[in-house]
Amino acid sequence: MRAVIAEDSLLLREGVAGLLRAADVDVVGCCQTADDLMLKVRSYSPDVAIVDIRLPPTHQDEGLRAALEIRADHPAVGVLVLSQYVEVGLALKLFAETADGAGYLLKDRISDVSDFVAAVRRIAEGGSAIDPIIVSTLVSRRRDNDPLSALTPREREVLVLMAEGRSNQGIADRLVITLRAVEKYVSSIFGKLGLPSAGSDSRRVLAVLLYLRS
Amino acid sequence: MDTIDPVTPGMRAIGAPRADVLAAIVVAALAAASCTVLVAVTSDHISEPGVHAGLQVWGILSFVLAGVVAWWRRPESRFGVLMVLAGAAWFLSTLSSANLAVPYTLGLVFDLVPAVAFLHVVLAFPSGRLERPFELALVGTGYVTALGVHTVGMTLGGFGPDNLLSLASWESPSHWLENAELIVLSGLSLTGVIVLVFRRRNAGRPLRRSLALLVDAFALALVMIAFLFLSAVFGLVSGETPFETIRRATFFFVGLAPLVFLVGLLHARLARSAVGGLMVELRDNPTPGDLRDALSRAVRDPSLTLVYWLPEFGTYAGLDGRPAQLSAEDSGRAMTLIDRDGVPVAALLHDPSLEDEPELLAAATAGAGIALEHARLHVELRARLEELRGSRARMVDVANKERQRLERDLHDGAQQRLIALSLDLSLLGEELAGETDLKDRLTRAREEIAASLAELREIARGIHPAVVSGHGLGIALEQLAALAPVAVRLTVQTHGRLPEAVEVAAYYLVCESLANVGRYAQASTATVDVSRENGSVLIEVTDDGIGGADTERGSGLRGIADRVEALDGRLRVWSPAGGGTRIRAEIPCAP
Repeated sequence: MRAVIAEDSLLLREGVAGLLRAADVDVVGCCQTADDLMLKVRSYSPDVAIVDIRLPPTHQDEGLRAALEIRADHPAVGVLVLSQYVEVGLALKLFAETADGAGYLLKDRISDVSDFVAAVRRIAEGGSAIDPIIVSTLVSRRRDNDPLSALTPREREVLVLMAEGRSNQGIADRLVITLRAVEKYVSSIFGKLGLPSAGSDSRRVLAVLLYLRS
Repeated sequence: MDTIDPVTPGMRAIGAPRADVLAAIVVAALAAASCTVLVAVTSDHISEPGVHAGLQVWGILSFVLAGVVAWWRRPESRFGVLMVLAGAAWFLSTLSSANLAVPYTLGLVFDLVPAVAFLHVVLAFPSGRLERPFELALVGTGYVTALGVHTVGMTLGGFGPDNLLSLASWESPSHWLENAELIVLSGLSLTGVIVLVFRRRNAGRPLRRSLALLVDAFALALVMIAFLFLSAVFGLVSGETPFETIRRATFFFVGLAPLVFLVGLLHARLARSAVGGLMVELRDNPTPGDLRDALSRAVRDPSLTLVYWLPEFGTYAGLDGRPAQLSAEDSGRAMTLIDRDGVPVAALLHDPSLEDEPELLAAATAGAGIALEHARLHVELRARLEELRGSRARMVDVANKERQRLERDLHDGAQQRLIALSLDLSLLGEELAGETDLKDRLTRAREEIAASLAELREIARGIHPAVVSGHGLGIALEQLAALAPVAVRLTVQTHGRLPEAVEVAAYYLVCESLANVGRYAQASTATVDVSRENGSVLIEVTDDGIGGADTERGSGLRGIADRVEALDGRLRVWSPAGGGTRIRAEIPCAP
């Protein structure tokens, strides 16, 4: 797996590169600016680009714009956006059309090394990753006649993990239950929420995300 | 900004002429007119001496007497003197009717000068000066042609046996030269008409009525002079009698022009009765806006502008209290200062033609005295409010920038370092295979760091919502709506980004309003609407709670109102008991 990293803090850039290399990821390029990132994506065709949402020169939205550009122009390249603030609005913008090969995580997550590497791999393979804070914000959002109240506590747990972009196997490992049990919970959740059962894991993410947003 | 030089521009320090000088001029004019009549009736080379003399006397007296009156009434303008001199030139030209060789020759020398003098008078109206180099060149060429070239032509011969200047007898070249002079003078006259037309157009607004009348009269007379000269050269009309008719009509019209000026003068005197109307209007304690309109009507200048002197600020200001951007050379406007007991109160910017009616201006401004002082105080108050608003906006701006800087420092400093530290501890833990106790302690340390990071995130967000400046109001409000204590329906239609100060103020407004909904409203749902219309941004937050909100409750909403007002906006709260709460802010924002 090949990755490029765009992050203007030297400490974090080297930290992320180091932990990825230790996990046998080929870090083909590290850079500090959005322009440099686009150049490296075009030249190296990496499997995944890891992008800080705040990049020089203005530290406003350069990182997000670069991420959206990669999503539009290089659909084969997965994009993981790292940020020091997690915003529902930004997640919705990043996943506006599809959750395939996209992720949005709080920067703090890099210190959960194995989880972080797993998320990077998932995105590189076309899956997705959404920060748990975003999911929990959306799940706990107040609604009129909240349909989520029909879910059992276990189903809520599965919904949250599903929304974070995890596969059924990932959910099973996390909750220490069988794959079969996860499948049962998932179909029960989709039934209760009136969602059509989706195909791939990331399509499932988008469906749940849009459902939670409304 | 430009401040006005406290001296009225264009003021010329020419004293009023002494009465005996004026009387002497009148006597001289009457004597000259008598002389003209005498010369005409005794002339052996003109036909119908009565009609001829009558027209000449009409022209001479018209110019000289109108000039005397103008000089007397408008001593600061050279126009009156110029008219008197034009009348004198006219008189000299009439001597060509004389039988004696000396006056005859003198009259011939001055034969064409009155036409040029008339052009000079026309172009020098109303100041008596030729303002532009082109006009100066036009008139200069005229005098050189009518006096210089003409005199040279006379030395070539022609003009009869009494021409004392004749040195040769080349009558034909002399005749051709005279024709050439007439053509040149016609051209100059017609150019003068074009200059008048352009002046009128360049004024860019309707000239005041008396001036327009005058210009038309002058233009007509100039065209007639040109026609007269050209028909003399090219025989445009056949026969002696029609030519003589044109000649007489031209004399009549040229003589009429100064009288039109006199009519204009009398008109100004009549206009002063309009000042009486002004006094009546001012009795009803007019608003400062009405005062300008009333003054404008009284002096018949719709373009009139009134600015007030603010000693504290050292500037003139308009009704809105903002400094008036004007200079003494302000695009062809004239200015009159108004003071009370030597203290400046206001200044009038008006059509330059009003300078020719100083009594009217003086009467109108004197009549408006108290009302002007009243309006000045009003403007001073507005200027102070304006200054206050400006300083408040600057303070909010400075505070915003400072908060933004603090947030950046946190983001680039402590937060990044803590994340890197947590990563280090995590990597360290992986190397401690089997030492469960140490691994647990490392995990607890990392949890502490995670908690610190979460706290720092909240603090940073409270200091400055970086998402707002980075990604816009719409994205930032999604998070507020998702975190709100009640179900929120969010609609944001801003058509692109708004100015940052407006976005930040709107963000804090929604943030505080939704927090209040959670604290007091006992509501189940709320709506947040952001829209743009008519150059404003509207932000509205409503809930279906118990209402009865105290707008002064807590400093939260008060602080938000300060932010909104510093941007020239307005914040209003409706909160009837039992009827929910509606908070609405309107912030001006150019589309």
